[in-house]
Amino acid sequence: MSDSWNKNSIPKSRTIIFGALVTMLFLGYLGHLFSLQIVDGYLYSVRAENVKRRSTIIPAMRGEIFDRHYTVPLATNTNSFAVEINPALIARGEHRRVFEDTAALLGISVQEIERKIPQSVYHVYQQIEIRPAVPFETIVCLAENIHDYPGVSWVTKPVRTYPEAQVTAHLLGYVGDITPDELQVLYNRGYTARSVLGKSGIEQQYDELLQGQEGRSIRTVDAVGRRVADHNVQIVPPEPGHNLVLTVDRRIQQLAHDALGERIGSVVVLKPGTGEILAMVSYPSFDPNQLYGSGAASHFSRLRNDARAPFLNRAIQSSYPPASTFKILLTTAVLEEGLISTDDTLFAGPHYRLGNRIVNEWRPSGFGRINVLQALANSSNVFFATIGHDYLGTERLLSYTSEFGFGIQSGIDLPGERPGLVPTPEWKRRVFNSPWVGGDTVNVAIGQGFLSVTPLQLANMVALLVNDGVLYRPHVLKEVRDGHTGEVIERTQPEIIQTLSLKPQTSHAVRRAMRGVVRGGTAEPVITTPVVEVAGKTGTAEIGSQTDDWHSWFAAYGPYETQDPDEQVVVVVMVDAANDWEWWAPKAANLIFHGIFADLDFEETVADLRQRRRLWYM
Amino acid sequence: MRSRSIFAFDVYILCATLALLTVGILFVYSSGLGSGGEPLSREYVRQIIWAVSGLIILVCLSFVQYKSLRPWVPYVYVAGLVLILFTLLFGRVVNGTRAWLGVGILGIQPSEFMKIAAIMVFAVYLERAGANIQRIPYLAAGSVLFLIPMAMILMQPDFGTASVFFPIYLGMCYMAGARVRHLVFVGASALLILVFTMLPAWEIYIHGSRIPAFAVFSNPRIKLLVLAGLGAVALVAMVGLLMLKRGYFYWIAYAMSILALSLGASLGARAAIRDYQLMRLVVFMNPYVDPRGAGWNVIQSVTAVGSGGIAGKGFLQGTQSHYQYLPEQSTDFIFSILAEEWGFAGTLLIFGLFLVILLRGLYIAGNARDSFAGFMASGIVAMIFTHFAVNVGMAIGVMPVAGVPLFLVSYGGSSMWTALAGIGILMSIYQHRYRY
Repeated sequence: MSDSWNKNSIPKSRTIIFGALVTMLFLGYLGHLFSLQIVDGYLYSVRAENVKRRSTIIPAMRGEIFDRHYTVPLATNTNSFAVEINPALIARGEHRRVFEDTAALLGISVQEIERKIPQSVYHVYQQIEIRPAVPFETIVCLAENIHDYPGVSWVTKPVRTYPEAQVTAHLLGYVGDITPDELQVLYNRGYTARSVLGKSGIEQQYDELLQGQEGRSIRTVDAVGRRVADHNVQIVPPEPGHNLVLTVDRRIQQLAHDALGERIGSVVVLKPGTGEILAMVSYPSFDPNQLYGSGAASHFSRLRNDARAPFLNRAIQSSYPPASTFKILLTTAVLEEGLISTDDTLFAGPHYRLGNRIVNEWRPSGFGRINVLQALANSSNVFFATIGHDYLGTERLLSYTSEFGFGIQSGIDLPGERPGLVPTPEWKRRVFNSPWVGGDTVNVAIGQGFLSVTPLQLANMVALLVNDGVLYRPHVLKEVRDGHTGEVIERTQPEIIQTLSLKPQTSHAVRRAMRGVVRGGTAEPVITTPVVEVAGKTGTAEIGSQTDDWHSWFAAYGPYETQDPDEQVVVVVMVDAANDWEWWAPKAANLIFHGIFADLDFEETVADLRQRRRLWYM
Repeated sequence: MRSRSIFAFDVYILCATLALLTVGILFVYSSGLGSGGEPLSREYVRQIIWAVSGLIILVCLSFVQYKSLRPWVPYVYVAGLVLILFTLLFGRVVNGTRAWLGVGILGIQPSEFMKIAAIMVFAVYLERAGANIQRIPYLAAGSVLFLIPMAMILMQPDFGTASVFFPIYLGMCYMAGARVRHLVFVGASALLILVFTMLPAWEIYIHGSRIPAFAVFSNPRIKLLVLAGLGAVALVAMVGLLMLKRGYFYWIAYAMSILALSLGASLGARAAIRDYQLMRLVVFMNPYVDPRGAGWNVIQSVTAVGSGGIAGKGFLQGTQSHYQYLPEQSTDFIFSILAEEWGFAGTLLIFGLFLVILLRGLYIAGNARDSFAGFMASGIVAMIFTHFAVNVGMAIGVMPVAGVPLFLVSYGGSSMWTALAGIGILMSIYQHRYRY
């Protein structure tokens, strides 16, 4: 063997130093490991645990809304399909294609999906909702071709549905996703960015009762968010929202809706003895079911841009001159003040003249000498202009107007109620910078001019007279019931909001006068129902001066006299001047009264009245 | 002259190797389990095959007279380079790196074997150079043998594997008697290049605001000016050294050259380095800069290690790993699983086993019969040590993330065979340490 090999020249010192370096690094690493695993070990094990526990929201079922009979809901939740995409399940580079196909299937734009799933979340294992309320046929189509849609799936999702659609739309309102502005306001009350909340009506008014409590399931997930077989699943069950029972009677609501028909206007039906709203209808209406899911946005903007304002609940959110219906108030005031008695007569000529303000009698010849009952029955403008200006005077007239609840909100449990307007000398000076004149008093007396009232306020006026001066707060909520058990949690108690110390004979006389309107007065031709004695007052409000457009009012109650105050109902119908003139308000009220007291629906009411040959106008 | 049976294996190294292989197979199995304990991969089966075949290589090499390898060394080296070139042109891309050759599931990484080839060829060079290695030209010329494969591997690009060559070179030169000041110069320059490249990123991502002085690293014009200044000082110092022969001029020139060299090179390094590599360096400094991106690995790994505690969560009971929080868990982050499931006790065991192999390897190097064997043994020790330091350092968050496997433990055939071949050569050196 050759010995040309160099002898090992590695210095011993260098071997030792090398070895020392190696050992030092080992000790250094071990020191670090010691601090990681033993000193801070607890910290890391908590962190390792926390990272892997993830809570998922279990949405709470929104409470259902029932009518007063608590049978079939007016607002409920049905399952619909929402399509979701989990971007982490799509292979790299496939996202664009899957988005395009999905968008084509759902009939939406690719941009909409890309906005919800930006590139930065492509690796996140999370279901992202692309579209709620997808039709069943689309889901079938998706299911059949599911292999072409990696990462795409669907879930059933409760969607708010309103079986009565347009009929109850204004009353119940509708729900929608929370907006950033709303979240700012509601954040501290437990709302989250996922909240669906009521946007109007009962849904908005009692949203917190309907919401319920979200549940949570806390479980271990792996790094990509997949659930891991885990025995340590904590579930905080969701608490369903409370069910609401309304004072509304589904049958009367439907009846009122049909009786009003396709005429811009509104109907209020309430129980004077408690203030319970039995029906509240406004036309034009909208279908709240279409305000969610596909096409919702365009439907919404179409409604928004409709000049007839379908979202407006005309029963409480718009006010009009009360016209002749206001004569009920004057009758009450003048009798209560004892300025005239029911036997006293006044001369009601063709005109009432005050300075350059001339009030014409609607019958050109005038009525001659008539008492207050005849004046109300015939709706004499001259008589009540005289009463208002010459007998009551501005101060007393306005005082009664306020005491009857005009010019302020009644406090009904619906959002957006308008107060209407009662003009006063101070108000006129402030707004028009001109003094109050006698003509202004005359205008108030005949329910014209600046005076404007909501249909609900008019119903309250009638209710107050029916109750001999007591007015209950009108309300829509009857009971709050537990979402699980149906147990009554809270029941709305009638609340008196106004007590006028009327002499019993005053309200009695006014009611007699109102009955006179129907028996032998202006309303006699149209209030044809034989099943109930109706007492009320018509009203025809001029808008503008020379047009043929009039608002048509009818404010009434029935039965006229009763042993059982519970059966009495107040009906106020208001038909807007925008409709062709057909004096529809009392006609609609006639149908409503007949339907309520004969216990018939609209078609049956019409058929029944026709059969009795009492429906000449249809 | 004593004679010994060629069957007298180095029992310490052999036992430590076998123990590490066993631990490796156990944890490759553990890393292949999913969250429900269901096997997600059958890597451990292949790991067993590679371990067994690698052990055969080890035994064969230990019987071979290492001297008989020597004539083949240049050919092996050139063949290795050709193979890497071939990989660079036709290799398979795995994880963004063109480092694989092969068909189907059987793939090899020539860059792994290249380490052994480079160690062998450099051992020959060092032996030829003898005491001349103390002179700069010899030191520099020898580095070419490492720089060629490093450059080719960087082109794959595989920063981690390439970086391993550097400490091997330093370690072998040191053992061959190179001047420490020369090696410190090289080492310090390399370190400063890294630091200077990182600093602008550090300024942006971690410090958060601009530091005026850092314009030196980011603004090319200022950088060139500073560079010129440093160069001038170094030059003046060198002239002073030549004329006045004062010692301190030498050290001024020494320091200035390191600074100038690293500053200049960092200019090129920033251009060559890829953004994701820079991010790895940034998250090494603070993983929470990008906790779900580049910092994810570090955070999850450190969490896994830390949550292991003293005795660990128990074999197969780790959660970080089985819930797929740890990426590359059978290769780069196998140590994290071990530390999670066996705790500090397990890491002590691994450290002990590696320490046995390394110190024993150094003993073999020191007692080798000739220089060639000694240098080769030194290189192999340096290689195993570098892999250990980088891989474990990465798992515990004290080293930047670089795809360097933990020899004998990490899953992978090429690194397994490389490690076992290296140990086989150590064995051969040990067994043939006496002249007959």
